[in-house]
Amino acid sequence: MWGTTGCPGVVGRHYGGRVTSTPTRAPSGAPLIATQALTKRYPNGVTALADLTLAVSPGTVGLVGANGAGKSTLIKILLGLLPPTAGRVNVLGLDPALQGEDVRARVGYMPENDCLPPDLSAAEFVTHMARMSGLPKTAARERASEALRHVGLYEERYRQIGGYSTGMKQRVKLAQALVHDPDLLLLDEPTNGLDPAGRDAMLTLIQRIGTDFGISVVVCSHLLGEVERICDSLIAIDGGRLLRADRIENMTTSRDVLVVEVAEGIDQLETRLAGLGLTVSRDGRALQVPLATESTYDQILGAVAELDLPLHSLDQRRHRVAELFANGPAATTSTREGAHV
Amino acid sequence: MSTLTVPAGSAGSQAPSASRAPGTGSLVELRGVTKWYGNVVAVNDITMTLGPGVTGLLGPNGAGKTTVLHMMAGFLPPSRGEVLIAGEPAWCNPFVYSGLGIVVEREAVHGFLTGWDFVLASAKLHRLPNPEAAARRAIELVDMVEPMNRRMGTYSKGMRQRMRVAAALVHDPAVLLLDEPFNGMDPRQRLHMMELLHAMGDVGRTVLFSSHILEEVEQISGTVQVIVAGRLAASGDYRTIRRLMTHRPHVFTIRSSDDRRLAVALMGRASVAGIDIDPKGGLTVRASDYGTFTRELPKIALAEQIRVQRLVPADESLESVFSYLVGA
Repeated sequence: MWGTTGCPGVVGRHYGGRVTSTPTRAPSGAPLIATQALTKRYPNGVTALADLTLAVSPGTVGLVGANGAGKSTLIKILLGLLPPTAGRVNVLGLDPALQGEDVRARVGYMPENDCLPPDLSAAEFVTHMARMSGLPKTAARERASEALRHVGLYEERYRQIGGYSTGMKQRVKLAQALVHDPDLLLLDEPTNGLDPAGRDAMLTLIQRIGTDFGISVVVCSHLLGEVERICDSLIAIDGGRLLRADRIENMTTSRDVLVVEVAEGIDQLETRLAGLGLTVSRDGRALQVPLATESTYDQILGAVAELDLPLHSLDQRRHRVAELFANGPAATTSTREGAHV
Repeated sequence: MSTLTVPAGSAGSQAPSASRAPGTGSLVELRGVTKWYGNVVAVNDITMTLGPGVTGLLGPNGAGKTTVLHMMAGFLPPSRGEVLIAGEPAWCNPFVYSGLGIVVEREAVHGFLTGWDFVLASAKLHRLPNPEAAARRAIELVDMVEPMNRRMGTYSKGMRQRMRVAAALVHDPAVLLLDEPFNGMDPRQRLHMMELLHAMGDVGRTVLFSSHILEEVEQISGTVQVIVAGRLAASGDYRTIRRLMTHRPHVFTIRSSDDRRLAVALMGRASVAGIDIDPKGGLTVRASDYGTFTRELPKIALAEQIRVQRLVPADESLESVFSYLVGA
């Protein structure tokens, strides 16, 4: 299913200029993905995407949304596997509805579900995927071993995939998405089922793909902390519509509120700060004080020093990506999410 | 490997409100529990007690978390040691179920049943005097009244998960065990489930849940039980566990009005083991003595007339505590 037409360019980048017409990576600034009034209605009447207009610029992008918000539908349309009902879509300058094979030759896709053949070795499987995207036999084998090494599978790659752990399977899925040296990676919940160490390794890997190889990455995830950590920008969709698209740093700007945490004596400190005329509020184990002027810092520090308390942390409160979802119309989504399954 | 244990009660994050248990003691107790499958030791000599409130059960894949939960629920006999629920052994004791609910990781449900049928069946299996009322109450608790008459096959993962929690809660158990309850949930469903667990802990239930997402465990509960390779590596409040790791310097990042002068002043103190100056601004301080350093810093800054704009501990999060425990 991976198209063959786009592959000479892919080979050219890696095997020393044998092919002259090497297409360059998408010029920075031009959107990688652009949709305009994209709508998808399924035959059963469900509207998965409604009038979605967005532009994704190069970098690592997080795609978040409730279950049933339309993420999977969007990915299928971007890969040219599903025709949109209305609207326009453009991936790397191509129209996936008409040039599906060309799009898939330049896009790597890591699906969410377990879809690996258990009785093949990772080396065989990834080589096969490389050949499917049009690489000659030897090149496919070389690229496969290179991709598997990148994701951290060494000797294990000659063992059958059926015996792999979840973390290893996720790595194989990533390797097959990388094997044809795509310009864009679509990763659907890459950390699903991983334990903390495995998650950490996967996130570092994704970050490296973006920074070291210069490949743009779109990551679907439910874990907003994860998105905050590895992505430059974020696209949130809800009910098939664009909820928000922005750079991460714009969504995590600091607020004019100071958060003070002491290891002990929080009650004393609260009383003292209130006595200084500051508006103190309690937030779990921390105290919040509005940052009126720069001298607020000194007042707090002075109070802590006078009371001889251990100062654990002092920082400006930041906005969090999670706030996007903290006060949403939960009732309406629960009806919608069920309809989509 | 030694176990870092924080005495119960020092956690402080939970209000020990009206407990349903006779006596205020812990409802769940493991005494020297070992479980082996053939030659494989899954759980190795674990002793733990769980008090009312929410506790996180952490560990890498294959550490033995699910085995522990299943032994508590009486699905598995311990190979050695005792698993006690409210003072009674869990194994071969169906009465344990009158006070215990479990949500297992496998989310197999009968797709042809409606949510209501599913929870009602659970209520009837418990022989509750008024199963309809109990089912209704449990479904209200997880906020699934509106879609309860739809078949479960049409539910999303998060909705199925909430119905399974309702089925486990239908007999109002004092102990609730959940194996990876957040799997597959989206951000809003996660928030909702967190609130639900919080609420259940606050009314004095003993809630134990396993999870891999440490940021979330941190938000729900500071109290954790960490299992590494079948052994209990630490238990108690993770912040207190961090303090007990005295051989690891505490790392802080600081931003101030004059970083270099502050660095000079701090370097003279015995509680500071090292300082790095970040060329982009800011200091990274490694303090060998947490208590002394955190008390000294405000005074030093005031004496030097340096304004501290930011002091953030860099390795106090549950994530770093966990990686220290697993890596040790």
